[in-house]
Amino acid sequence: MSDPKNDTGTAQPKAPAKDPKKKEEEDLSEEDLALKQQLELYVKRVQDSDPGLQKVALESMRHEIRTSTSSMTSVPKPLKFLRPHYGTLKAFYQTMPDSDLKKYLSDILSVLALTMSAEGERESLKYRLLGSEGDIGSWGHEYVRNLAGEISQEYIKRQSEEAPIEDLMELVQQIVSFHMKHNAEPEAVDLLMEVEDLDLLVEHVDKTNFKRTCLYLTSAARYLPGPDDMLVLDIAYTIYLKFEEFASALQIALSLDNMQHVRQVFTSCDNQLKKMQFCYILARHGITFELDDEMVADDDDREALQDIINNTKLSESYLTLARDIEVMEPKSPEDIYKAHLLDGRASAGASVDSARQNLAATFVNAFVNAGFGQDKLMTAPADSSIGGSTGNWLFKNKEHGKTSAAASLGMILLWDVDSGLAQIDKYFHSNDNHVIAGALLGVGIVNCGVKNDCDPALALLSEYISKEDSSVRIGAIIGLGIAYAGAQNEQIRSSLTPILNDAKAPLDVIAFTAISLGLIYVGSCNEEVAQAIIFALMDRSESELGEPLTRLLPLALGLLYLGKQENVEATAEVSKTFNEKIRKYCDMTLLSCAYAGTGNVLKVQNLLGHCAQHLEKGETHQGPAVLGIAMVAMAEELGLEMSVRSLEHLLQYGEQNIRRAVPLALGLLCISNPKVNVMDTLSRLSHDSDSEVAMSAVISLGLIGAGTNNARIAGMLRNLSSYYYKDASLLFCVRIAQGLVHLGKGLLTLNPYHSDRFLLSPTALAGLVTMLHACLDMKAMVLGKYHYVLYFIVLAMQPRMLMTVDENLKPLSVPVRVGQAVDVVGQAGRPKTITGFQTHSTPVLLAAGDRAELATEKYIPLSPILEGHVILKENPEYREDS
Amino acid sequence: MLTVSVKWQKELLKVVEVDTSQPPYVFKCQLYDLTGVPPERQKIMVKGGLLKDDDDWSIVGLKQGQKLMMMGTADEVVKAPEKGPVFMEDLPEEEQVVSLGHSAGLFNLGNTCYMNSTVQCLHSVPELKSALVKYSHSGRNNDVDQTSHMLTVATRDLFGELDKSVKPVAPMQFWMVLRKKYPQFGQLHNGAFMQQDAEECLTQLLYTLSQSLRSLCSSESIDTVKDLFGIELASRIHCQESGEESSETESVYSLKCHISQEVNHLHEGLKHALKSELEKASPALGRSAIYLKESRINGLPRYLTIQFVRFFWKRESNQKAKILRKVDYPLELDIYDLCSDELRKKLEGPRQILRDNEGRKLGLKANEKSSSSKDNDVKMTDAEGSSNASGESSMTISQEGGPSEKEKHLTGIYDLVAVLTHKGRSADSGHYVAWVKQESGKWIEFDDDNPIPQREEDIVKLSGGGDWHMAYICMYKARTVSM
Repeated sequence: MSDPKNDTGTAQPKAPAKDPKKKEEEDLSEEDLALKQQLELYVKRVQDSDPGLQKVALESMRHEIRTSTSSMTSVPKPLKFLRPHYGTLKAFYQTMPDSDLKKYLSDILSVLALTMSAEGERESLKYRLLGSEGDIGSWGHEYVRNLAGEISQEYIKRQSEEAPIEDLMELVQQIVSFHMKHNAEPEAVDLLMEVEDLDLLVEHVDKTNFKRTCLYLTSAARYLPGPDDMLVLDIAYTIYLKFEEFASALQIALSLDNMQHVRQVFTSCDNQLKKMQFCYILARHGITFELDDEMVADDDDREALQDIINNTKLSESYLTLARDIEVMEPKSPEDIYKAHLLDGRASAGASVDSARQNLAATFVNAFVNAGFGQDKLMTAPADSSIGGSTGNWLFKNKEHGKTSAAASLGMILLWDVDSGLAQIDKYFHSNDNHVIAGALLGVGIVNCGVKNDCDPALALLSEYISKEDSSVRIGAIIGLGIAYAGAQNEQIRSSLTPILNDAKAPLDVIAFTAISLGLIYVGSCNEEVAQAIIFALMDRSESELGEPLTRLLPLALGLLYLGKQENVEATAEVSKTFNEKIRKYCDMTLLSCAYAGTGNVLKVQNLLGHCAQHLEKGETHQGPAVLGIAMVAMAEELGLEMSVRSLEHLLQYGEQNIRRAVPLALGLLCISNPKVNVMDTLSRLSHDSDSEVAMSAVISLGLIGAGTNNARIAGMLRNLSSYYYKDASLLFCVRIAQGLVHLGKGLLTLNPYHSDRFLLSPTALAGLVTMLHACLDMKAMVLGKYHYVLYFIVLAMQPRMLMTVDENLKPLSVPVRVGQAVDVVGQAGRPKTITGFQTHSTPVLLAAGDRAELATEKYIPLSPILEGHVILKENPEYREDS
Repeated sequence: MLTVSVKWQKELLKVVEVDTSQPPYVFKCQLYDLTGVPPERQKIMVKGGLLKDDDDWSIVGLKQGQKLMMMGTADEVVKAPEKGPVFMEDLPEEEQVVSLGHSAGLFNLGNTCYMNSTVQCLHSVPELKSALVKYSHSGRNNDVDQTSHMLTVATRDLFGELDKSVKPVAPMQFWMVLRKKYPQFGQLHNGAFMQQDAEECLTQLLYTLSQSLRSLCSSESIDTVKDLFGIELASRIHCQESGEESSETESVYSLKCHISQEVNHLHEGLKHALKSELEKASPALGRSAIYLKESRINGLPRYLTIQFVRFFWKRESNQKAKILRKVDYPLELDIYDLCSDELRKKLEGPRQILRDNEGRKLGLKANEKSSSSKDNDVKMTDAEGSSNASGESSMTISQEGGPSEKEKHLTGIYDLVAVLTHKGRSADSGHYVAWVKQESGKWIEFDDDNPIPQREEDIVKLSGGGDWHMAYICMYKARTVSM
């Protein structure tokens, strides 16, 4: 809040010297001179002994001030002329006996103090409290603002002295109601936040200002510490609910992760169409939610709604989008590599297949054709001789490569459970364990984010988790983890937890079991799962603790507390008792997961502190600390920019293990959002002399461009592919990155944030973090035999579309304006929310930072944010222009 | 009797009756009738569990109208192909080379880039390789000295190593033997070996090889090296003053390309070099007189080596200075007009056939595609060249130096296969690099231990005129036709 004293301009010392005063008088116009003399007269009269005269003088003075304070462009004349008499009046006030007149004078003094009071004296407030308590707005807006500022100072003082604050609160009531009536919602909210009584707000909002108020509240919440942000969001939720803005209320409920609130939204709303929209929002958020008859009474209606939450139609609308944009034609990896654009170098005669390159092609094919249901390698009809039919391509992969190849079928048929299961079925009967493992993983991937009454994934996979062969087990376990991420399914827990404490189980099975449990119970703080993982960690031998796979266990533990802040503390205490080899790693992972997506600056500082140390014993905990910076800071734009800069410093001064993690952190910060400065940094790092730094930079180039088809990144990667044509490992990374850039032929995004960057999908973030942690040790995981960890990103994959549907949920094409989103928080009136827009007809793709608005009045959207699926209702007031 | 609905792929089988008194297998058979999926391939999912053949329906707890899901197809089960694919990573190292498309590089042992590039150029001649393979340790002839023999063996071993490995090779043995045989290469300067002239190295090496390889086949009187590289020159020496004329023949391993002010192209340089003036005693005049020597090529080799005479002895600076002049050279060289009349006659026939062949191919091409650009032509000749090369190499392995070779006739047209370039201002300094065309038709720049793929159009840019690499020795391969 700005200090009003600075606005008063030509403030002069209390007793100006005579000479300048005379001069000033000479400058005055006649009219002003008259006013001045008049006021001086009033001042004299006020000090008169006759109460009658006093009263008249006060009334007149009051009148003069009130008529002039309406505009505040310069210091109002009456105030200016009264300035020299402030001291006199103050002195006289002390001598006055208590009376109405004294209160009157007190009011005037309070106003005069606006310009006169010395810093920190808060005289304006003091006299206001002593005054007549009349209508506060009558003295002008500036006066109220000044008063609000003094109140917040006074409040802090009284809090520390534990003095009563009732009188202040009464004033606050008045001020808030004044602000709320006069389009100054941010000021009202600020004041209430200062005096810690936001509940008052609910009484004062009305239909005209609640939207702006809530917008200010929700954006302010991002910068608030500790429990305050929850409180603020809670108020916003109450207000939205009060004004029946249910969709917004639901979004806030989701961001609070408060299922009670979500239920309340459903029970308070009685419009089936709106409920459908709620279901779409829930489906995009990717949480498991069961409707009951209290929320939706009618059985058929409930089933229809549950179908939306279960994402059963997601595949259908994704394909509608693809057909509309005309990208149904399957693409082969060669279409992505575009080797013909490179001169002579790449692609030697290639008479012999390279297993590494075929594996890369498998992934590229899976990423590019994700969700389209057809491709040129895996699903191509068997009779097409060139390029190889299904069976052939599968067997062009070596050993564990076949796992990823079979699983890629799941990626290609993503979300389409019915045909997906039919296509994968034949691989279940293979006699090759790697193929079976891949089929199991594929079933999990197909079911990612899609729930079905019959629980096919659980039915199919559960009988394999205790098989003899560990690759088959891992396939089934990861499959369950991906299919039921966030579902908190008891049945799966009871079958998976025994594996963790099975002394005979190999390390990789245990590690992936933990990860799957972490995903299924993401952000749940589930005690039993946490216990099981902690015991598994304690059981590990000294040598096992050094294995890269073991590091997945702390991560699994962290996932349980994803975004849950201080709930992690008990577990963090336990982790201090671990073997020192893993202790710090665990500490960093827990901290970063618990504060992921909070933007908590203190935690970022803490993590940076860990990165600043120069270690000599080859500890590994700095990697997750660097990733943690990204996880915490990715919450909002400002913090994000700051951490990009901090990471740049780490690159300069950090040890090698930090430098290896920095590109990955950058990749997470700007996921599916190709910012040019980050792109340049990564491009530079992709030629780093340390090949692991280069590898993670290359993968991150893919991540920041994921699903954007960004031509610049594609070009960079193409050049890298010829630069690294001899280095099989780096070439593999380049290929993966190329696949990522063209993820879903550019229709998908990996960004876990959605709904105008307000909501963070926990499962999506969990998937990304798991994949990134695996990339911390590229050689052991992605380049080794655990390359299928790359499939964890399926959890974050979502169509970046705006699909408008009519009341029967059939696609409806309407014109929309799509442009760069503009921050309109705290702006008066109805500011433009987008800039540089283009008009398209839906369905339409939204890039990072884009926002859409309807370009027609004919329909009313049921969701305030046009993203994903939006139901349109016909506008009854719409008249066709002739 | 309960009725349930079963979802199978995209279909929904409504109202399927379940007889709960019979085991589930009966139900599966029912579904078999409806879908054609054999019961053992069916997976029926009931609320997160699979229906087993011998389950008890009462435990499954089926409800009227419940939705079940069936997975399974009647498709063939995927079988692994009989013979799995072979992956590059699994191959032994020598076979990886084949898939790599080029042979290995050579480590620089301290200013030995001249030797490395020479070896790489010679290594690109398959006939020389096969001749060396036949050369054995024991088969040493007495008229070859010990060091020549050792050098030949070292060359053979080095070529073998280059063919087998993917990683760069350190030519230690070869380097030692070469120094032993030709001590001038062992010259030291400031305690380090000095840079040498690559041309000298090539000449000496070819000489040694010709000595030792000739002796091997002395009975058949075939000189492999001469057959491959030797150029027959017929010279007419004419004295203008006296009108005397004589002729002589000689055999050289390389043509020189003289570089003077008016030489802009390889062809001009070659012509220039074939005419020379010399001063010798004239028997007719009784004193020394200026004789004009004009040479013509009388016999063509399979591999034509051309040396650009870029270095000359500069007395004032006491070093071999370099002419930086740009001299263009073609990818395809026709030396018909440098040949003697006798040779020209011999070439006529094969050349006609070659023209016919090419004309036919181009004609066909033109019919097929209206846009037969120049680019296509180049590719065509490339393809042909490489097929020739591979044909030949396989042939030379099988042949016994016998009749099949006679069927190949030289045409006087040559294709560029290797370029040895020099970068720097004098022969004893700077850097030598070999640019060699592989059998696949791709060009590789062998910069010591680092082979780098290059484009064909960049090869002809090595013609000099700056401080970039410039051609010093070019090796052309004869284009032949069978008659």
